[in-house]
Amino acid sequence: MGDFLQYVELNSFLHRLDPRSKFVFFIIMSVLTSFVKSGAALLFLFLVFIAIWLIGGIGSYILVLANKVKVLLLFIFLLWLVLGLFTVNEGPAIFRSGFSLFGHAYVFSLEWFDFYKGAVYALRIFLMISAFYTVILTTNFSQIILGLQSWRVPYAVAFGVGLVFQIIPMIVQEFATIMEAQKSRGLEVDKCSAFAKLKNYVIVSLPLLFRVLSKGHAISLAMHYYKLNFKVKRTSYQTISAGRSDFWFAATTIAATVMTIVLQIRFYIQI
Amino acid sequence: MSFKIEKISYQYSADTPLILKNINMEIRPAEVTAIVGPSGSGKSTLVSILSGVIPELMNKGMLTGTFHHEDDVMISVVSQTPENQLFGYGVEDALAFGVENLGLSSEKISERVESVLNLLHIQHLRKRAVSTLSGGQRQAVCIASVLAMKPDLVIMDEPVSSLDPKGKHLIQSVLNQLRAAGQTTVIVDNNLDWFSDIVDHVVGIDHGEVVFDGSRDEFFADAQLAQRLGVIVPQTVDIYHALAKKSDGLKPFTTLDAAYEALKDCVVPQAAKPAEGPQRAEQVLEVNNLSKSFTDGFQALKKINAGFEKGKIISILGQNGSGKTTLVKHLNGLHRPTEGTVTYLGKETTTKSVAEISRDVILVFQHPEHMLFEENVYRELTFCARAQGIPFAEKDALEVLENYDLLKDKEELPVNLSMGKKHLLTILSVLFSSAKVVILDEPTLGMDLHLRRHLEAIIHKLKEQGKTVILISHEIPLVFKLSDQLLVLDHAEKLAAGSVQQLAENEALFEKIQIDLPPVVRLSKKLGLSPLACDVASFAAQIDELQKIGGAERG
Repeated sequence: MGDFLQYVELNSFLHRLDPRSKFVFFIIMSVLTSFVKSGAALLFLFLVFIAIWLIGGIGSYILVLANKVKVLLLFIFLLWLVLGLFTVNEGPAIFRSGFSLFGHAYVFSLEWFDFYKGAVYALRIFLMISAFYTVILTTNFSQIILGLQSWRVPYAVAFGVGLVFQIIPMIVQEFATIMEAQKSRGLEVDKCSAFAKLKNYVIVSLPLLFRVLSKGHAISLAMHYYKLNFKVKRTSYQTISAGRSDFWFAATTIAATVMTIVLQIRFYIQI
Repeated sequence: MSFKIEKISYQYSADTPLILKNINMEIRPAEVTAIVGPSGSGKSTLVSILSGVIPELMNKGMLTGTFHHEDDVMISVVSQTPENQLFGYGVEDALAFGVENLGLSSEKISERVESVLNLLHIQHLRKRAVSTLSGGQRQAVCIASVLAMKPDLVIMDEPVSSLDPKGKHLIQSVLNQLRAAGQTTVIVDNNLDWFSDIVDHVVGIDHGEVVFDGSRDEFFADAQLAQRLGVIVPQTVDIYHALAKKSDGLKPFTTLDAAYEALKDCVVPQAAKPAEGPQRAEQVLEVNNLSKSFTDGFQALKKINAGFEKGKIISILGQNGSGKTTLVKHLNGLHRPTEGTVTYLGKETTTKSVAEISRDVILVFQHPEHMLFEENVYRELTFCARAQGIPFAEKDALEVLENYDLLKDKEELPVNLSMGKKHLLTILSVLFSSAKVVILDEPTLGMDLHLRRHLEAIIHKLKEQGKTVILISHEIPLVFKLSDQLLVLDHAEKLAAGSVQQLAENEALFEKIQIDLPPVVRLSKKLGLSPLACDVASFAAQIDELQKIGGAERG
């Protein structure tokens, strides 16, 4: 559960789906959350996501994600709230006051709408991240490569993408081990000022860099040992094919998309 | 198919010395060839040439000579870190990766995958994710993935260096299968101990030159050569050489049974003496009812009680996953107990940071690259002292570097040293810390015999200074040679603790944890020695003494 940004071995319907169905889901949701700015539509989409996570058995992992991104979401919420303070909007105001600065007149106006706007932007970002994360949690890097290949993405690109998802957990683990090793030798990172902590984290990045370089070297040697040549056509042992659950998942995605667009049109408030 | 290397020389650039000088050797078909030699002797460069990395990937050096082999020959390599070599999430994906690159049909790929799963008896792993495999299983899958490509020659570079005894057994049985199947194999490893039963041919390299090319038994017969090349030989071979110094007519042996046959008549059976209990000393570090459960519910330690005495060398034994590393991470504060306490000199360590605890209890990690980050060897050596604010004299630091053959590397970037030297450097740096307890996790990683001798000297030096050394190592003969006491863990529980002599008597204990007692202990038992000898020197001394008694009784 502590592992972040990596595939989780489960046997849920989400895991059994054709990776391409999940890629399509991710693309549609990314586009949708980029355009939809209606609170009602986003809330509906959020409920759909929750249903997918719960049925897919990954709800607890999404809570881990929410915990990791909570500071970012809070920042986005506060940013739009603060920006909203300097705009006068329609609707009930909580507090409103005028003041002048360097000869210019300003109105400081806090409305319920500012909270709505902050919440909408934070929810959009969370849905964007979690759409990506839903795919990553349920699709291992071998399936990612297979899926991309079946879309005629060049193998070098597909392999590179898969390798990134293979290596990220290794690097996260390496960083944690290096931190532990340095603390064990007397480097203080627990009881020190924020500046000293930051400095020590920078120090630790050097062995991490060496480890990553050495891993990169080892991986390129391994590619040679396995005769990997991107110019030569390779074959595939595993195959992927869409089934009945892919149909239902696609139907749900389309229905949710249509409903979200309808809600966006009917309940859109200019923000 | 045989492979002939003729007059191969290599240098990485025009202004660097020759790393290989006029190498001539043959790799014979269906044989296991061992390439041995000290760090920096040129073994890795030779592997790069054999595998085609030089000149295909690294083409800036100067290569002369010829590597004769048939056209379209397939040569592949199994590295010491399978996690960097396995491509694919699942075992089947990883096994198929190389064959897919050959462009075979999916039926052919399927046949190859089945055949290696059967050959290496790893069918039960086929549906597993690579990340969930143990070290030994991962290495077995790595070997299988290479074999699936049907290579004419497989080169293995220190394939068991980071495995526990169970993992080593697995790879030994895999190699036995390969040998029986007639696979031509080269193993590059300075530890000949673990694969001595299957090796046919040994090539020794020193300073870029072939200094030995012969059979395994010829190599084992030359003790000085093995010493010079820093090769770790089976303990039975060491026993033979130690005894042969004093006994001219001793029949050579390399196995335990042969050793028993050669020695059984020299030894007069002695009345068994009970193993001495440990001499108690002040306990510096204690754990009481220590339990640890992680957030995913995994219980890594269950109600452990243990004490670590001043000035003693204590080894923690157990397979991977038994809780050894989790236990020592509690000793230095990296883990906090779920239940129970850790006390240093009677005081709980819970409120201290890891860096604060490191002034008393220091842990050296098994991979030196996790620790090294200074710009030169001298600064790395004195890192602990500077981090902990401990004064030190430059003269002392330079003396340490000189004593351990690192003075010439004083200004070198530490990451450029050989793996063994890097490890030695991280261990040496604790000499300048204030810690009274030093924990070494797998300190022999990457070390040849020469560096191991240095390591033994450092551990003895720490003990002489009254420091407590806690050792985690899968090198069981070394553990028995160095340790005063053992703490045995199995499946998160403490199974036993006591002096090495006491626990060596308990065969059932070692069977339970699936760790073989060192040959010297097993031979002592077979010969009825009392007390049991735990290292070669004391064994030789006991045999010498018994021969004298036997001679006096007969004469």
